[in-house]
Parts: sequence; C-alpha cells; structure tokens
Amino acid sequence: MAAHLKTNYDKLIKAFTSKPCNLKETNVALANLKLGMIEAGLLIPQPGVKAVELRIAREVLEIGAYASIRSRDVPSFDRYYSQLLTFYVDYSETLPPSPHEPAIRGLYLIRLLTQNRIADFHTSLESLDPEVIATNSYIKHPVNLERWLMEGSYSKVWNAREEAPAEEYKFFVDSLMGTIRNEIASCQEAAYDSLPLKDAATLLFFKTQTELLKFAEHRGWQIDLTGGLIYFKKKNEEKVEIPKQRIIAASLAYARELEQIV
Amino acid sequence: MPDVEMKSTSEKDKKDDKKKTEEEKKKEEEKKKEAKKPLPPAVEIKNNAALIDRGVSTLEPRFTQRVLRTLTALRKRIDDAALRTAIDGIYTKDGTVKKALLTWLPAAPDGGDAPMDIDEAAATAAKASTSEPVPEVEFYLRLLIIHHLLKKEETHKQALVLANETATKMQQLNRRSMDALAAKIWYAVDRAYELGGELADARPLLLTAQKTASLRHDDEAQAALINCLLRNYLEDSLYDQADKLISKTTFPTSASNAHLARYHYYLGRIRAVQLNYTDAHTNLQQAIRRAPPAKTAPGFYQTIHKYNVVVELLMGDIPARTLFRHVVLEKALIAYFEIVKAVRTGSLSQFQTTLSKHAGQFSTDNTYSLIVRLRQNVIKTGIRRLSLSYSRISLRDICVKLHLDTEEDAEYIVGKAIRDGVIEGRVVHEKGWMECGIQKRGYGPEVSEVFGRRIAFCLDLHNQSVKAMRYPLDAHRKELADAEGAREREKELAKEIQDGDLDDDDMDF
Repeated sequence: MAAHLKTNYDKLIKAFTSKPCNLKETNVALANLKLGMIEAGLLIPQPGVKAVELRIAREVLEIGAYASIRSRDVPSFDRYYSQLLTFYVDYSETLPPSPHEPAIRGLYLIRLLTQNRIADFHTSLESLDPEVIATNSYIKHPVNLERWLMEGSYSKVWNAREEAPAEEYKFFVDSLMGTIRNEIASCQEAAYDSLPLKDAATLLFFKTQTELLKFAEHRGWQIDLTGGLIYFKKKNEEKVEIPKQRIIAASLAYARELEQIV
Repeated sequence: MPDVEMKSTSEKDKKDDKKKTEEEKKKEEEKKKEAKKPLPPAVEIKNNAALIDRGVSTLEPRFTQRVLRTLTALRKRIDDAALRTAIDGIYTKDGTVKKALLTWLPAAPDGGDAPMDIDEAAATAAKASTSEPVPEVEFYLRLLIIHHLLKKEETHKQALVLANETATKMQQLNRRSMDALAAKIWYAVDRAYELGGELADARPLLLTAQKTASLRHDDEAQAALINCLLRNYLEDSLYDQADKLISKTTFPTSASNAHLARYHYYLGRIRAVQLNYTDAHTNLQQAIRRAPPAKTAPGFYQTIHKYNVVVELLMGDIPARTLFRHVVLEKALIAYFEIVKAVRTGSLSQFQTTLSKHAGQFSTDNTYSLIVRLRQNVIKTGIRRLSLSYSRISLRDICVKLHLDTEEDAEYIVGKAIRDGVIEGRVVHEKGWMECGIQKRGYGPEVSEVFGRRIAFCLDLHNQSVKAMRYPLDAHRKELADAEGAREREKELAKEIQDGDLDDDDMDF
C-alpha cells in the first residue's frame, strides 16, 4: 500500500476514535483515502489485489458508513453500503468476516424500515443466514421492529427504542417514531369517533399537550378544548360513486376478447 | 488439459479393476433384463444419432426434439460400456473426435461380452455411419457423457472439465441446427458446476452465454440459460440480482412448457420475497398448470405447492382441503397443513408450536422466512373471528383470547385491523371495548371488481391454452391447397350458374 494511503489511514483512525469523534477531520481523511483507493484499485476491487489491503479498504468503508450516519448524511450511507456489499458478498471467502458487518447490515435494515420500504427490507433480509437473523442482536433488533410494526404492537416498538444495540441506531429512532405516529394516527382516524386529549397523547407517545395540538393541526383533526376531546373526520360517509370509467373499459375488453374467441 | 485427462483416465483404470467383477455381474443381470426392454441403450443412442443426422440434413428441428425428449429416460440407463459401444458404432473410422470422446470413458474391460455387443450394435447402425457424422452427434454424445459422469460423485470434477470444454467448443461452432441441443448442454454445464460446489463461478460464463444466445435469437438456449441463472442466484439467496436479471431480460415466449414452468416458479419465489403476493400467486399458479404431471415429476410438483400454500395464506386465503389429500402431496405437505390449521383458527400459540416443531423442514424448503411473516395474518384472522362472534368485546378479553401481551397492544392491533379493512367496527376508548359494526352488504363496486378478476382469469386461461396448442409444420399448406381447390370449384359453379342462367334465359325466350 502506498505511503500516502497509510498516513491518511492513520489520520482517519485517529480522528474517528478520538472522543468525541472528530467528524470534520474524519470526512476529510475519508475523501483523500477514497481517491487513493481508486488509484490503487481498491474501492471497486480489481483482480490481483492482496487480501490484507482489501481488508483495510473494507474497514475504511465501514468507518465511512458510520461517519456518514453520525453526520446525518443518509444518501452517503447508502453509497457506502452498496460499496461494502461487494466486500461482504463477493469476497466472503477470501476475507475474514468483518466484526462490523452485522451492525452495518442492521443499520441498513432500519433505514429501509424508516422509509417504509418493506419489500426491500425483506429482500435484503433474505440474503442473510437464518441463524444470524435469530441470534445476532444487531440484526434481531430491526427484524423485531418490523414484526411489531406489521402486527400493530406499536408500544413495543416505542419501548424498544432505547434498546438499540449500537450508538448509530439512535439516529434512525426519531424518524422511525415519526413513521409510527403517522401509522397510529391513521389507525385512530379509522377506529375512533372521538378521543380524550390525554389518552390521545399517551397513545401517540407525546409528552406535552402542545406537541399533540401541533400534530393534530397537521393532520386536520377537530379539537374541542373545553370538553378535552379530539374529533376525527369521518371518511366513510362519502358517497359511493359508480366507477363508470372502469366498468366501460372492462366491458370493452370483454367484447374484444369474445370477438377473438368467436 | 492433456495432463488432467491422463490422470483421470489412469485413476479410472484403477477403479475399474475393482469394478470389473461387479460390472460383469451387472452385465449378466442386464442381459436378463434386456430381453424385456425394447432397446438396449447403446442401440438407442445410435438410432438417436441417426435421427439427429437426419434432422440436421433435412433442416427439421423436429427430429432433434424427438431425440432430446428421450434424454431423461435414457440417461438413467446408460453405462460406460453402452456409451463406448455407441461411440464405436457411430464413428467407424478412427478420427480425432472419436479419440477425444473415448478419453472420457474408462478403457474397455477385457470381457467376452464387449466385442459381441459391438458387432451386434455395429450391424444395426452400419447404414447410418457411412460418412463422418455431423458435429451435432458429437455434442449429443458429449451431453450423454456429462450426464453419465454426473451420476457418480467421484467423477464430478471430470464432468466439470468436460462441460467447460464442450461449452467453449459449442460457442465456437455457432450452428443454428444445434440450438435445441445447446439448451440441454447449458443445463448440463450448470448442473456440473452445482454438483461441483462452484455455483458462483458459473455466473460469468452463463451470463456471457445468455448474451450471445439473445443476440442470436436462440430462444431455447436463452430460456435454459435464464432459468439456470435464476436458480443460481436463488441458491445463494441473491434475490436482488435475480430481480434485476428478470427486469433486464425478456423470457422467450416460444420456450417449451418445462422451461416456462421453471421460470414461473422462480418468478413466484422472487415476488413472494418482495411481498408482492398477488403476482407471486399468479406465477405459481402458472407454474403448477405448466408443470409435468404430478407422478412424473413429484419433486417439482411438491415444491411449487409448498410455496403456493404459503403465498395463499399470506394473501389471506385458505387453501382447499382436497389439496392436502392428493396422493403425491399428502406426505410432503403435512407440516404446511398444520400451519394452515393454525392460521385458520387464528390461534397464535398453535402457530408458534407448529412453527418451532417444523422449523427444520421449513428452512430446508426455504420457506421459513415467509412463514414467519404469517404471524400477523394469524392475529388478523383471530380478530376477525372475534368480531364475527361478538357485537361488543372488551380489550382485556381480546388480549386473553389472542394471547397478546398487553391491553395497550390489543388496542393498537384492533385499530390497525380496522384501518386495514380486516374488520368493521370501532374502539370506544373510555369504556375499553371494541364495538363491531354490521358486516358490509354484499353488493357494491367491489363485487364487479371480483367478478372482473374472475373473468380476466378465465380469458387468460383460454388464451394461454390457445397459445400452448401445437400444430404440425406445413399442415396449413394442405389446407391452403384445399382452399384453392374449393375456390376453383366455386368459380366453376359460378360459371355454370351464369351459363345456366343464360340457358334459362334462352329457354324463356
């Protein structure tokens, strides 16, 4: 490995491990390292590079993934993740398994959850060993979250937010809570006629009433402050219209098919 | 390359010594059997070679197809001796091709039977082998040898070497008459890689081959290759890559039923993982319909049905009871039947015990992750049953009946079920109960929707069956001739009528 890569690598480790983590320097070192790695054919591994160098390249990318989450740059995390996948999948035989792999995969799973990309979530979950899913705490966390979300056990999700297995997971908690609140709100609109303010706050995990009022306004709920009640709009009283367009299209399609048969 | 060959043959020689006695015994047995069997394999191979030759020279792919149809049955019956006699019979002159082919087989044992076989076989095939056979025959023999080598574990390595060599040779040749054979050979190549445990290494080779096949409009090889690649990806659970492959390629519609069935099966599996259950279900249904009869290919039939049952459950349907009484499926689907029972009754505890009891089977079937997803369906069914039997039920009771952890959970879950349209009703928070509404009336726009879906299904079925019909080549010519004749007759008739009219007119005058 070239000398300037080595110095940059040392710088990166120093900046990343210092407490608190020096994000600015980490990012500078990362940018330099990536350039160097492209020249050395390591960023997208070329044939003929040594396993030791590949391992270091993988570590650099892993630090990059962590750093981008700490600096709240999700698209950058996605890029690092897709670059890392090459190392995790295609080089799984030449390289020793990385200690960070489950954590990074878990982070990616959570990220998919917060965006409600459930199909992608399951696709990437399928590529993992079932044993890892059942035992590894980094992976188990998002898997459980998904199960509870699908079931509707929102309180379990809420309680699990503090049990994040790694520091970086907490970054996604806020956006995940936003997703949950919206889910719960849409359930409430369907399931309740009215709800006392206090109970609504606990159901939606709000600590203060002002937060709740702001949220209610955002969703367009009617609030009766004197009675302390929230009224939800009734959606299902809309008039049912006959879907003319669809019926006509369907009938024409039948006519065409029938003509083909006869 | 020669080094490897030398080694493998010498190794084979050693093994052969041990086997000799066994082989002789086998031969005696076979001789007894041969009396009953219609054709010994060696003779059949030679007849097939003649057919291929005819197919190539007359440009009729039909003959080659007929040969390939017997491949599955034949490959179970061939052995070293049969292949050797067949090669001897087909290649009468000592050419390079013959030598190359024979290196893959162990040397002939010095038994008294062997030469006799040759004489007998040579006599039958003598007419066909006056000149050097077409290259297709060589590849047919190579295909048989690969399948033969794949039968025993110790020769898997050898098979892989031969498969690679065959693939490169085939690509250099580029003969259109070889398309049908090529598809079978690619399948054998993939199989050789898989049994050799080097699936991942086969991908680049198969991908380039797929590219070439699609450029040459070689539909059959393309279909075989796409299926091989999909299988390859799914074995390593690379659903992302498999999905991308599907979106980038178009599966040839002219492919044979067997290929289509496999393709639909893989597609169904991918869609199921992506939570697109409706698509998964249609694809699996197609696969079931196109699959060979249950008795001839029980393995495939069972596997698709396993997936189909799980997907149906995930869609919220309950598979028909008769399915689990099917002769072929009854034993294989026992575990799935129990899961169905658990889902149907909506009992979470029963579901959990069944799941842990059969976890091993589900993970070997690759359906474990799909079945785990059923948990929420079990809860939904449970709530639905409750909403049907009670007009008002407290959240506490729901909690107890469905084995949920807390009342709070129950409230959220009921809320979600109402929003998702599983049940009609509302939650009265102050009193802590759920009130169940009246069931929807059976008439509305959704009825026409369901009706439309069924009609679409029937029409699709009809169209697919029309497409699947096969017509003999050139049969329409005859009809054309008939039509031509009919037209002639009509003309004559018209003329006669005209003349007759005139006559009539004359008569009138």
